[in-house]
Amino acid sequence: MTSRLSIPGSAAAAGSPAPNAGVALGVGLAGTALTAAGFFVSDPRRVALSWLVAVGYWTMIVVAMLMLVLIHHIFDASWGVIIRRQYEHWLAALKWLFLLFLPLLAISAYLRPGLIWLWMNPGSLLPGTHETVGEDILYFKKAGYLNVGFFTLRLVLFFGIWIWLAYVVRRNSFRQDADGDLKWTRSNRCWAAAGLPLSGFAITFASIDWFKSLDYHWFSTIYGVYFFATGMRGALAIGVLLMLWLHRRGDYRGILNRNHLHSIGQLMLTFTVFWAYIAFSQYFLIWNANVPEETFYFNLREYGDWYWVGMSLLFLYFAFPFCYLLSYRHKVEPHWARFIAWWILVMLFVDICFNTLPAARDAAGHPHPFFSLLMGWHFTALAGVGGICVWAYLRSFSTTKLLPIRDPRIAECLSYQEASAE
Amino acid sequence: MSEAVEAAVAVPAILAEVKPAVLPRAVLVENNRSFAWISDKICGIIEGPTPRWWWICFGVASFIASFTVAGLIYLVGTGVGVWGHRSPINWGWPIVNFVFWIGIGHAGTLISAILCLLRQKWRTSINRAAEAMTIFAVVCAGIFPLFHVGRVWFAWYLFPLPNSNGIWQNFRSPLEWDVFAVSTYGTVSVLFWYVGMIPDLGLLRDRFTAAGKRVRAFLYGLFAMGWRGSNRHWSNYEMAYLILAGIATPLVLSVHTIVSFDFAVSLIPGWHTTIFPPYFVAGAIYSGFGMVLTLVLPLRAVFKLEDLITQHHIDNMCKIALATGSMVGYAYMMEFFIAWYGANPNEGFTFINRAFGPYAWAYWTMVTCNVIVPQFFWFKGVRRNIAFVWILSLLVNVGMWMERFVIICTSLTRDFLPSSWGYLSPTVVDIFTFFGTFGVFGTLFLLFIRFLPMMPMAEIKAVTPQADAHHGHH
Repeated sequence: MTSRLSIPGSAAAAGSPAPNAGVALGVGLAGTALTAAGFFVSDPRRVALSWLVAVGYWTMIVVAMLMLVLIHHIFDASWGVIIRRQYEHWLAALKWLFLLFLPLLAISAYLRPGLIWLWMNPGSLLPGTHETVGEDILYFKKAGYLNVGFFTLRLVLFFGIWIWLAYVVRRNSFRQDADGDLKWTRSNRCWAAAGLPLSGFAITFASIDWFKSLDYHWFSTIYGVYFFATGMRGALAIGVLLMLWLHRRGDYRGILNRNHLHSIGQLMLTFTVFWAYIAFSQYFLIWNANVPEETFYFNLREYGDWYWVGMSLLFLYFAFPFCYLLSYRHKVEPHWARFIAWWILVMLFVDICFNTLPAARDAAGHPHPFFSLLMGWHFTALAGVGGICVWAYLRSFSTTKLLPIRDPRIAECLSYQEASAE
Repeated sequence: MSEAVEAAVAVPAILAEVKPAVLPRAVLVENNRSFAWISDKICGIIEGPTPRWWWICFGVASFIASFTVAGLIYLVGTGVGVWGHRSPINWGWPIVNFVFWIGIGHAGTLISAILCLLRQKWRTSINRAAEAMTIFAVVCAGIFPLFHVGRVWFAWYLFPLPNSNGIWQNFRSPLEWDVFAVSTYGTVSVLFWYVGMIPDLGLLRDRFTAAGKRVRAFLYGLFAMGWRGSNRHWSNYEMAYLILAGIATPLVLSVHTIVSFDFAVSLIPGWHTTIFPPYFVAGAIYSGFGMVLTLVLPLRAVFKLEDLITQHHIDNMCKIALATGSMVGYAYMMEFFIAWYGANPNEGFTFINRAFGPYAWAYWTMVTCNVIVPQFFWFKGVRRNIAFVWILSLLVNVGMWMERFVIICTSLTRDFLPSSWGYLSPTVVDIFTFFGTFGVFGTLFLLFIRFLPMMPMAEIKAVTPQADAHHGHH
């Protein structure tokens, strides 16, 4: 039997009015303004890195949502139809994320050269040394890739790919609501087949450009896969929260059932393991080989309180969610599922910090501590970018049907049972 | 917050607007075949007289297998030096062959375990043969490290058993991890294969009993372990199968991860790279699907199984090969890019040497077979041309053997010291021993299709419309 969820006390009736996007926009603008002010009154490099963390965090999540939509199309899956429309709405945030990224480029390339990415200024002093980027042989070797012009071109290309794919899958899906034509499904499948490798390449090189090149001496072939894995965890966690939010509002009452939550919960478990597999592969192979040109990256991340941040990733981003998500109840009961979804989103933020912030170092070459008053800028930035993303989502949310009502798999989705799952 | 299951829920208004576009799913058994037809078809292969072609193939396969036997006898009688590896290439063909065969096995476990967990019903028609392929591939793989230890009668030293000298294994070596990983993998694969077969063995027992063939009825009955098909039996069976799928899934991924560690934990340029674990797993699945296609397509034609192994199955297998082949291509690209981006001269040289050095022929063969060949699977017309798909599947096998050859030989023949550079040429014994493993594999596979149900009848019946209690009337 397909068990419908019921949350006593949720007063909203089916078809609740559209939520007020203005609040989200207000939070977004306030967070952005505060962070911008912080740039002038606080340590500009660390505030700028906070903005990079926030933009990177939300971009990785939204791009992973795009990839989930493409994956659902290419697998012809039925259960995912219930959440696909919400992801499609989130994709509206991509163009804003592009705009929100531009200040980082403007600052590091033109206003304060090398402030974020040291290599953007040949005069930048390498941390803990008296050598500048311009005197660094390793930079010379990579200059063909790491230069402002090519970086900008790639940035435009990455967002161009994502925004175009988002535009196409949204357009096709929304148009199908009106005419029920199968050509939109077929078109989305074709674009999904082409879009997945394109998105994969884009997320790979974006992670290299934005995060890995902060420490441009360091290299790792698995780095792009790592960001794909962590982004997917965030996208799935938000998927769970959206399902439960819509259910609590009343929109999904009589629509969402336990099996939908179970399936997305299983994917959360899968990507918890996948992330750990990728993170372990990277750490273990570098630790085991013990070559200084690679290990310095992790040595930095064992300095001061970063050691505990790293440990928190091991135990709180992998071990705890893994054990937690093994339970069926934890995947399908709203309060349990909501808790782990929030947990993963918080730890994903820690993960992005771990990959990003130790690049900012003091004169002695040591990374600044993770826990400090300056953490406040992380939160203003996160709220700023996140508020704008949520605003973009809510604005799109009110423009279409709650579900893709003419999707060929919508009926299977609504009567979705594990035993009949394709 | 409390949570309860509602018996009745008010129908949301939007559900009245739901009107799905019509796009039927592909059927998994064509021509609406009945349960009886499926039983007769699969059991008929075992019950009928041995076809002449089977004897011919069996003879050829056994003859080819004798090459391995002869090669190994010569090796044991003479020494490991009869294989062509020597400094600086102390790992030559044997490790290439080991990784190649282990990789082949992966698709079997992927189809049986991972696709089971993903509830992909199309797996039913091909999983039994793919699992058999896994086991026979592990047998072939095991030959090479086993005999590479030199004195094969001391191979038990690989296990951490107390011995007279108190010598312990090097637990920090991934080769030792291989021993545990591969032996566990082999054991679980056999268990999984066997457990999945129990209902079908019960059916064969009953049919042989009805036909009055008592010896065969006894033997199949022995291995059916008293299967009666009761609710309790089915319940236990389903749970056991699910648990084994859950165990086999991380196991299969760990095996090829550890195989990749054989290389990646070293400092050798071209080997020490962080993407190796997922790259090896993707490559293994790619090669395994190549081999599944190589095996299943002829079986489909010979036994006229088009209703059970449909075009939909072939499409799906081709698409998985396309996806995993493209992942392998991604890994090749990342290796090359990071070799340049990392600015380590040794890494950079290794990859230039791969593409333009003395093994360039192997490198480009690998790229062609593993990256370009699967791109044909984008096209429906190609996927529907069975003969062409079969040829492409052979090229997949060639490409994946070549990949291991390229990884191992290019890095070892030209490492840090130019004074010790060399070029690996296999000996006749190398070639014969490897060639013979195809005979070993073929012999075992032919025995499998002759004596065991090559398709899981019970599972196939479960995905037919007749198995649905509502029978299409929801």
